[in-house]
Amino acid sequence: MQLDSKVPGGPLSEKWDKHLFDLKLVNPANKRKFEIIVVGTGLAGGSASATLAELGYNVKTFCIQDSPRRAHSIAAQGGINAAKNYSNDGDSVWRLFYDTVKGGDYRSREANVYRLAQVSNNIIDQCVAQGVPFAREYGGLLANRSFGGAQVSRTFYARGQTGQQLLIGAYSALSRQIAVGKVKLFTRRDMLDLVLVNGKARGIVTRNLVNGNIETHAADAVVLATGGYGNTFYLSTNAMASNVSAAYSAYKKGAFFANPCYTQIHPTCIPVHGTYQSKLTLMSESLRNDGRVWVPRNPGDKRHPGQIPESERDYYLENKYPSFGNLVPRDVASRNAKLQCDQGKGVGETGLAVYLDFKDAIQRDGKDVIAKKYGNLFQMYEKITADNPYETPMMIYPAVHYTMGGLWVDYNLMSTIPGLFVLGEANFSDHGANRLGASALMQGLADGYFIIPYTIGGYLAGTKLEKVSTDDAGFKATAEDVKTRIQKLLSIGGKRTVDDFHRQLGNIMWEYCGMARTAKGLTKAKNLITELRAEFWENVLVSGSGDQFNQSLEKAGRVADFIEFGKLMVLDALARKESCGGHFNEDYQTEENEAKRDDESFCHVAAWEYAGEENEPNFHKEALHFENVTLTQRSYK
Amino acid sequence: MNWLLDIIESSIGKKLLMALTGLGFCVFLFGHLAGNLTIYGGKDAFNSYAEHLHSLGPILTVAEIGLLIFAMVHILSGIFLFWGNLKARPQRYVMKKSAGGRTIGSRTMPYTGFLVLLFVIFHLMNFHFVDKTNTTIFQIVQNAFSDPIYVGIYIAAMLVVGIHVSHGFWSAFQTLGANHPKYMPLIKGLSICFSLIVGMGFGFLPIYFLFML
Amino acid sequence: MTRSNGKKNINLTLKVWRQVGSDVKGRLETYQANNISTDMSFLEMLDVVNEELIINHRDPIAFDHDCREGICGMCGAVVNGRAHGPEKGTTLCQLHMRHFSDRDTVIIEPWRSRAFKIIKDLVVDRSALDAIIQAGGYISVSAGGTPDANVIPVPQEAAEKAMDAAACIGCGACIAACPNASAMLFVGAKVSHLALLPQGAPEAARRVLKMVQKMDDCGFGNCTNERECEAVCPKEISITNIARLNREYIKAGFL
Repeated sequence: MQLDSKVPGGPLSEKWDKHLFDLKLVNPANKRKFEIIVVGTGLAGGSASATLAELGYNVKTFCIQDSPRRAHSIAAQGGINAAKNYSNDGDSVWRLFYDTVKGGDYRSREANVYRLAQVSNNIIDQCVAQGVPFAREYGGLLANRSFGGAQVSRTFYARGQTGQQLLIGAYSALSRQIAVGKVKLFTRRDMLDLVLVNGKARGIVTRNLVNGNIETHAADAVVLATGGYGNTFYLSTNAMASNVSAAYSAYKKGAFFANPCYTQIHPTCIPVHGTYQSKLTLMSESLRNDGRVWVPRNPGDKRHPGQIPESERDYYLENKYPSFGNLVPRDVASRNAKLQCDQGKGVGETGLAVYLDFKDAIQRDGKDVIAKKYGNLFQMYEKITADNPYETPMMIYPAVHYTMGGLWVDYNLMSTIPGLFVLGEANFSDHGANRLGASALMQGLADGYFIIPYTIGGYLAGTKLEKVSTDDAGFKATAEDVKTRIQKLLSIGGKRTVDDFHRQLGNIMWEYCGMARTAKGLTKAKNLITELRAEFWENVLVSGSGDQFNQSLEKAGRVADFIEFGKLMVLDALARKESCGGHFNEDYQTEENEAKRDDESFCHVAAWEYAGEENEPNFHKEALHFENVTLTQRSYK
Repeated sequence: MNWLLDIIESSIGKKLLMALTGLGFCVFLFGHLAGNLTIYGGKDAFNSYAEHLHSLGPILTVAEIGLLIFAMVHILSGIFLFWGNLKARPQRYVMKKSAGGRTIGSRTMPYTGFLVLLFVIFHLMNFHFVDKTNTTIFQIVQNAFSDPIYVGIYIAAMLVVGIHVSHGFWSAFQTLGANHPKYMPLIKGLSICFSLIVGMGFGFLPIYFLFML
Repeated sequence: MTRSNGKKNINLTLKVWRQVGSDVKGRLETYQANNISTDMSFLEMLDVVNEELIINHRDPIAFDHDCREGICGMCGAVVNGRAHGPEKGTTLCQLHMRHFSDRDTVIIEPWRSRAFKIIKDLVVDRSALDAIIQAGGYISVSAGGTPDANVIPVPQEAAEKAMDAAACIGCGACIAACPNASAMLFVGAKVSHLALLPQGAPEAARRVLKMVQKMDDCGFGNCTNERECEAVCPKEISITNIARLNREYIKAGFL
């Protein structure tokens, strides 16, 4: 199958306008005849549901939590980018586009990124009109800050809770449509499979998490906005319920999965403290503006940081990257922290942490200035660790944060299954191999408010859709498959809990498919995962029954998918014989240990097609063409 | 007038009625206390205050009816609120602790309110619905407060009123929407002062009669 | 603030409310939580207890949780009589075991309110909160056609106050802690958030009337200004927002 990205022709800046004009329209009176399923209520799913309903479509919206307001978009802290140029510092749509393509290490689709930058401004207008309380200047106009090493101030923010506020905006728009009956909301539902009729996505199978009922829902199109797969690593900054199951079930039904190996590892998280830790907490990366990263010069030095004299400290980022110092990009900072710990210089009880020291900043600016900048972060850190960062240096370690890979979509955000659209973190398209700070919120809302409403109309108007009902054989068969799998999970009655398996998978993934990868390690991981999968289906212990509220069963299904999906990540990482962005393969690095891209052979999207349980997936390639930017190597020396 | 009914039927509406009538009683208490202070001026001063009050005639009757209506509204909405609150949590907690918000006043509002009602009836029977021919109000009061049991009841009742008012006063402002970071500390201070003034002002009178006269 | 006095592992006796469904009677059951690291969060402690229950073929304790960083509002239980436990401004997922002592007995109950039916154990149905938002907790603007974001200036102070109110995570602790199971802090926060912004002004009156009516219909109790809500709110939202709600209601009702 030839992948067709459907990117329109013409100059970059006119592509979207031209495409909008070329898309067929659905007559306003006919919109109410169409039914659309949206799975997920984060920024992408929430905004898409609301907007499609506003246009007149009948929408059925599903979420895993008890309320659409709890999707994990809510945890985003930093902000949202837009090319408003309110700061008058030379920002433009073009610059935002350029920064995003470069930040993505030239592995994203030019036309998609440009469109993202174009609609970024509409998003801010929309959110302000909805009542999002963005930070403001004394004059009453919106405030901006520079974020993630960007050269311009283009980030809009609502304290450290930007994701929450944007999500409440989308949730309130969604609530308004629920009230008028255009959206029917289904909470505490887990999407377990996709239903195809005549090769088109026409419905889903869900499990009602309260009573265990397996339910089928039919529609004219299905929109997946089910987030990323960071929890494959067990420990990540994702929420506990974040999973890959919905996307993975679509993959098994024929949707290609693109670039699964691209994972973003965030350098400033609170380190792991014990085996039973369930989650990692992010500390804003703004801390690196004033904190100095160091480890003891001598491996195994277990002294209290205060007792280690200046001469025995290694400020490794400052030494290695004199011009960027502690402000090197996320991937570089993360990798170097791992390098130090691998050499036995890691600190804390586990030896898996480095110091982020504010002593010099406090001496230079005074405690008050530092408290004003980072007070709430220091407080949060103290709440979790019981250490006071004003007195002892913080301990930080990298953690899995965001996944750039996702289901492959074309310019219309449609997957390789006709009628299946994928939005937000669940798709692959805009961030390439590495995402810039404050871009995830922008992408989720762009997809939901300003892209899918048009492109889905083009599909619905231009496609012959036969009548389907949940009584059709296809729905019944899929529901049966789901039930069979649940019964199988419950009947194994082994000796190890689901969490136990998940932890083991996480360890494999983190060790071999984490911050630094090698062909040898990846091959080992592939075998380990195959073994783990076999053991899981023989030895997992799931409590309770299928017809009740059963969190152990919910997790079991998700972990079963994570295990299979983990293998796909490893395969993709093996196939990408270069280093780029979130994928660093130690076999491909410069003499100075930096990521070395291979634009000759790997300037493409790797899209994987499911080929059955026992077979390796088929590889497909979408070549990336850069007509408007020149590919360069990044350097931070 | 449907709109008014809608408001009154809502939880905030009932609270508004509580607040307005409650503040009305605060004003009344203030006036009542001011009048009673004439006792310290001696028998004649107090009797002449009572005479003046009664010479108001129909105005007094209107005021009394007003107070009665206020009382009915305050009691009825209080009962509705109390009942609604009981229903709102059919299954109680096995263990429940205050996180620091509640005060003795807020915790006991419905109960102190009920006690105050009992006391008001008792009080009216003692001093209002009595045969006032051939006697003066001062004598009636003096008679009543020569009995230590009466004095005890009155002092206890004033304590209860003070507790009720300590929450009721600031709470009424909050319910009416008058909570401003600049002024709320003042209102809360006033609330404490007012409850102390009312409690001690009224509460000291029986003691004065028992021991000083 | 740390009670465990530097001791790394503690043993606890848990008394947990177990209830299989909304119309079944529940009761407290006792469990031992042994060798609990004081670095764990409260929910991680429950994870450990559940792992052991599962291994022993017993029904694990059901509890809601998701982000585990104090922002999604999914978790919550009344711990020793306090919603979200003894620490101020903290959700249950951010409560750490170092605030408990060795051999403590910990009583864990679900949010209790007529409007919140128990689904299982500590899991309750909070859809009434969504119903209140659906009644009017939004600004009626559709995507597209909005003016430039800087057309209407908003005083910084108003934006900050709106943000204070908008910080609500919808966890329901205010209702759980209120002696009357009243939802006034939740509704007050939402009404305040939108009423403080010029964008929310056009439908302010309609919004407050509808939301209060829905709140009453859902079966929440009445506010008697006990202030327990703001004392347990993990985002420390002030009852000045309740006063603002009252003000908005008076304005909408009488003007």
